[in-house]
Amino acid sequence: MSESSLNTTRRYFLGQCTGVSLGAMALDSMAQQEITGLPQLPHFAPKAKRVIFLTQSGGPSQLELFDHKPGLMDWAGKELPESVRQGQRLTTMTANQKQLILPGLTKFSRCGQSGATISEWLPHLQGVADDLCFIKSMTTDQINHAPAMTQFLTGHQLPGRPSMGAWISYGLGSLNRNLPDYLVLISKMQRPSDQPLYDHYWGSGFLPSRYQGVKLRNSKDPVLYLTDPAGLPRHLRRGMLDGLAELNQMRFEQTQDPEITTRIRQYEMAYRMQASVPELTDLSDEPDHVFEMYGPDSRRAGSYAANCILARRLAERGVRFIQLFHPDWDHHSRLPSWCTARCRDTDQPSAALIKDLKQRGLLDDTLVIWGGEFGRGVAGQGKWDSPEAGRDHHPRCFTMWMAGGGIKPGITHGATDDFSYNVAENPVHVHDLHATVMHQLGIDHNRFTFRSQGLDFKLTGVEPARVVKNILT
Amino acid sequence: MPRLMPKHLLLLLTLTLPAHADPVSFSREVMPLLSDNCLSCHGQDAGHRKADLRLDTQEGAHEALKSGDFMARIVSTDPEEIMPPPKSHKPALKADQVAMLKRWIAEGAQWGKHWSLEKPVKAKVEGHPVDFFVKARLTQEGLKLSPKAPPHTLLRRLSFDLTGLPPSIQDPASSFQDLASSIEHLVSSPHFGERMAMNWLDAARYADTDGFQSDASRTNWPWRDYVVESFNTNKPFDQFTLEQFAGDLLPNATPEQKLATCFHRNHMTNGEGGRDKEESRIDYVIDRVNTMGTVWMGLTLGCTQCHSHKFDPISQHDYYSLHAFFNSIDEDGSAGTKAQPYLSYQSPHAKRAVDETQKLVDARKPIEAKAKADAAKPFEQWLSQRQTAVKDGFQAWHILHGTLESQEGSKLTQSQDGIVTASGPNPKQDDYRLISAIKLPRLTGLKLEVLPQKGALSRGKDGEFILTDIKLQVRRKGSSQIRDILVKYAIADTKVDAKAREYGDVKGTLDDDPRNGWTTKGFPKDQPHTALYGLAEPLVLESDEELIFELRHRSTNGDANIASFRVSATDQPGPAVREIGPTPLEQLAAGKPEHERLLAQFLEDHAPYQLAKASLDRANAQLKEVQSAAGKLNVMVLAERKEPRDTHVLIRGVWDKKGDVVQRDVPAAIAPWPADLPRNRIGLGKWITSKENPLTARVFVNQVWQMLFGAGLVRTPDDFGLQGQRPTHPELLDWLAVDFMENGWDVKHLIKLIVTSETYQQSSDHTNPSDPQNLLLSRGPRFRMPAWMIRDAALASSGLLNPALGGPPVRPHQPEGVWEEIFMGRFTYEPSQGPAQHRRSLYAFWRRTIAPTFLFDSAQRRVCEVAMTRTNTPLQALTLLNDETMMEASRALAKRMLAAQATDRLPLLFQSVLTRDPTPKELTVLQRELDRALAHYRAHPENARKLQTTPELAAHTLVASMVLNLDEAITHE
Repeated sequence: MSESSLNTTRRYFLGQCTGVSLGAMALDSMAQQEITGLPQLPHFAPKAKRVIFLTQSGGPSQLELFDHKPGLMDWAGKELPESVRQGQRLTTMTANQKQLILPGLTKFSRCGQSGATISEWLPHLQGVADDLCFIKSMTTDQINHAPAMTQFLTGHQLPGRPSMGAWISYGLGSLNRNLPDYLVLISKMQRPSDQPLYDHYWGSGFLPSRYQGVKLRNSKDPVLYLTDPAGLPRHLRRGMLDGLAELNQMRFEQTQDPEITTRIRQYEMAYRMQASVPELTDLSDEPDHVFEMYGPDSRRAGSYAANCILARRLAERGVRFIQLFHPDWDHHSRLPSWCTARCRDTDQPSAALIKDLKQRGLLDDTLVIWGGEFGRGVAGQGKWDSPEAGRDHHPRCFTMWMAGGGIKPGITHGATDDFSYNVAENPVHVHDLHATVMHQLGIDHNRFTFRSQGLDFKLTGVEPARVVKNILT
Repeated sequence: MPRLMPKHLLLLLTLTLPAHADPVSFSREVMPLLSDNCLSCHGQDAGHRKADLRLDTQEGAHEALKSGDFMARIVSTDPEEIMPPPKSHKPALKADQVAMLKRWIAEGAQWGKHWSLEKPVKAKVEGHPVDFFVKARLTQEGLKLSPKAPPHTLLRRLSFDLTGLPPSIQDPASSFQDLASSIEHLVSSPHFGERMAMNWLDAARYADTDGFQSDASRTNWPWRDYVVESFNTNKPFDQFTLEQFAGDLLPNATPEQKLATCFHRNHMTNGEGGRDKEESRIDYVIDRVNTMGTVWMGLTLGCTQCHSHKFDPISQHDYYSLHAFFNSIDEDGSAGTKAQPYLSYQSPHAKRAVDETQKLVDARKPIEAKAKADAAKPFEQWLSQRQTAVKDGFQAWHILHGTLESQEGSKLTQSQDGIVTASGPNPKQDDYRLISAIKLPRLTGLKLEVLPQKGALSRGKDGEFILTDIKLQVRRKGSSQIRDILVKYAIADTKVDAKAREYGDVKGTLDDDPRNGWTTKGFPKDQPHTALYGLAEPLVLESDEELIFELRHRSTNGDANIASFRVSATDQPGPAVREIGPTPLEQLAAGKPEHERLLAQFLEDHAPYQLAKASLDRANAQLKEVQSAAGKLNVMVLAERKEPRDTHVLIRGVWDKKGDVVQRDVPAAIAPWPADLPRNRIGLGKWITSKENPLTARVFVNQVWQMLFGAGLVRTPDDFGLQGQRPTHPELLDWLAVDFMENGWDVKHLIKLIVTSETYQQSSDHTNPSDPQNLLLSRGPRFRMPAWMIRDAALASSGLLNPALGGPPVRPHQPEGVWEEIFMGRFTYEPSQGPAQHRRSLYAFWRRTIAPTFLFDSAQRRVCEVAMTRTNTPLQALTLLNDETMMEASRALAKRMLAAQATDRLPLLFQSVLTRDPTPKELTVLQRELDRALAHYRAHPENARKLQTTPELAAHTLVASMVLNLDEAITHE
């Protein structure tokens, strides 16, 4: 988004305040001095201004979606050679069964100029292949959901560290004072999910809590406590906040406590959010062709598809870090019915988001990331040749894709062995992904630390992490 | 925060740098400098040590000094030579730092220990010890204490600090004539223990659920009451420590002493399928060691899990030697209901909750009975009307006609009689949609008939259909949006006991899971079959809205699409859509009425009865819950297994990478192991609180100081190591620590000592520009109160607070759906009914994956936390403006106001919330807002009704809410 359109947005939001009030005046004078982010950041010119992270929770199967291994047909039902497995730990769900190979269950096509291999279960994504950069050599240390997702998002398997979005919000601050810097959107599902999405996934850990992700809910309160009680009209709330600001100002004059001034300002921001958030989440002003592009599910509030449209709206409004969560990719059984269900939810909207951002000129400085916390193993879980079969968790390799934000389009980076079991070339550890995302935002991950409990923490942890230079434009 | 650091450090330096006449202090000057600049490469962590040089030991440093290289490398200008090297991103030492090192060397390079590892000593004082040290420091800086705070402020400060509640305007005992007796009154209050417990629960990472994937509930809350009780009876802190470490091992241990050990079981437990239990078990032991380090000793032991500490004298061996004390608990890493060892314990606090809820049920029962009795007459009227209406026959179900769509290309056609038939392409899986206008006044349910075609129910090979899911949606013509309609009930004429992930039971079509769903396999397939779907709530469609009913066939094997079906709709509630067969009115029309079913249907629609019934149902559900809490509960505690486990150093902290075997021991650098102590948890608990241990008393005193002043004397309460901050008043901290131990670890004594000081009692109004962060304590403590205290204060000042102590957890108001959306409906949140709603926040049920939403800036209760966070955000403003509890408190305050004389109302509001009268200027603003609100609500009584109030009450509620949101109302002044 250009600087001038940002300013327009800003004026627009300031215009939402009706009447001149003490609170609003205090705010106006503060607006200019508002310091966002750390003064030493960015370390260098960023390629991306914002991130949209399409988090697929549960561990999507790289074998069915992207990592085409036609040679596996010859291995169907045979035991995975120990030379490949090399002592890889299994979850206790399959540790006691034979590791019999289940070849990928889908047909693949070579797509676009780049010839990327994409599954028939993702027909829309096939259409934007040349905008995507696939990393087929992702690797993580964790084999169970909560620790793996926690590491995937915070760099460490135990809860308590800030999420990537919180780090970035803390470091770079806000582009829009009317909305939080880090927003989280979760797909509304009907089925009780086996993997709950804990709020530490978007938590601020040891960073101040204002940097934690704010969840936009699909309910009458898109942000908790946003809506005034029924029977309290807007102008009365305005008057009440004016009175509150006046009384607080008297207290400030007596005590000179700067926290009071901040508080006056935050109540004003709360008031403005009460207008800006519903405006943002109300998709009724989107034209029909947008819904057609994102697919039928996009008309249903709270769906992944509707959230993809919201993500684009947030990007337009300058929100720094936008994170979608789509749960239920944990396909231990019945891959053909279960995995396709999640593909149907996400395929068309993910592809539409890329197209939409591109059409609006936003893709250049928006980094889009798609992926889950780990991949799935080549051995069938359950009876391998039955349609009931699924796949167990697999940390050693998985596929992600990125687009925009200074990432080379239409390439594939890294590769796995013939079994999609081990990384064969150019491994990209989760920490390397973090380093790369930060790099695109103009941050040297080694120099971006926070002191807590006597230690200087960084997102990328203590082991050396590196930026994946080969995928950068 | 890096941005604040320089100012901070500068001030600390000026605070601690003595005049040059004194010799250089190793612990205050040299050691911090070495730690900041050298030890990450030249410390005790051999793995990262460069050039085989150690600067953390006297021997290593003296060797470096002897070589003469030491200063040369520091002052070098050659980028290849200079220390610290540029690639470490540490700047070169400043001139005064270099000068200090040179003086230190010239003075003989005296070696010593880090300050917190030296035993504290009590310096001689005159007058009040707190004031003696604080004034001395202030005088050095040319400053003095602020004047004493005004009486009402001081009373509020004391009351919040000692009980977590505001002074009660009804309670004359807290009148301020006599400070000492006020303090005595407050520390003797049973609310003292509750107040202290809140912080201890944060430190103990206490919660009511396991955390992680399953996040199952646990019943460890009796331990919470043990903590409250311990503080209330002023149990000496060393005894409190010992019981929590080793209550189970004490001779003739009481149930409460065993209960105490739950402290070390309050960690999260992971029951995720596929998780290796041994890995989980090791995690728990690690959590205990880290928690012990932080809570009792202010040590960041977590670092030493993977490698020897880079800064503090704790090695990886030390870490696993501590680990060994907790490694033989009779546990196996399980979670949920298998998290042995348990203590079977019956809480003395539960009966009160049962009685309270029983009263609620007793009060609601006659209301429900009366509502039912009151319904008899309208029922008879309704029945006779119905009888007339149905005398020519009655049809409950109306066949739906409309547009048909197929996702994958089946050809769907509908005949006159509404039967839809699929033909043409036969895709493996397909979704059918029937889009239809509804002529009924409302919709309560749908009937789906699956009809045989040539002896088969599906187009698949075996003739059996599998319907994986249905969806019901509403679309307004011309609108881009679709809304989902919740279908709650499903019943079919085929009954099967299908597992959650099998095809069979029709209920499987409601959950959006393609791995289960409805099939009639095993029943005749040449017969029609019927399913009924009942809506959660009746749906009224506008004239321009249409209904979309979707049938999904997405089974694993596919090839099971329905061949022919018909859909009908009804407006009949209750039994009509929940029971297969004729509806009650159809029976009536046929001359075979069933009275019970007719009454059930009538009551379903009779709002007064439904209200009374829902209210009674909720009370009954709560009664059942507290009754089970009143029985024997399993509380997770410590108990040793018969055969102790071997403890290994875990290489790089990885659970199954076993290194050397280690024995139970403690880090010698802290304090030696007293020879007479047993090598078990009793010994460990006694070692922690031994007079030789330089850390524990200081760390606890600092936590208390932080509680009272908003920041500790050591501002990193979780790090007393080399990388933590140095105390602002080291001698004061030491004096208090020694005094605390000398007085038998008497917590109330310690608190009373601090709050009777002039330092504590200063006004907090003005921050001295020379002391911007109040490091010198030149003013009284001023900080935003924790969220729990704000909520408790609102309840107390509005008179709503239920002051009961202990018992099973309660569920305060939360916005709807916050649990449900995290767990996709697996856990639902029902706010507590009756007086249980207004208990203190301490008793709020704590679900680890989603903490109570009204507690902003709170500890997360996942790992131990002793530091405080205080932020100032718009989300907090929204919480305090719109939280239901805050609204209830505002309404209750408004009612109190209206009960008083008109002129007394606003002063009464101020007195209740702020313990003072408003100034004339404030009164003007309050009156203006009140008048504005009154004018509005008198002109718009419908808005007052929406707030469930009269216009007067609504206006006063708004003003009360404004006062509850004042900075002064939420600030510890």
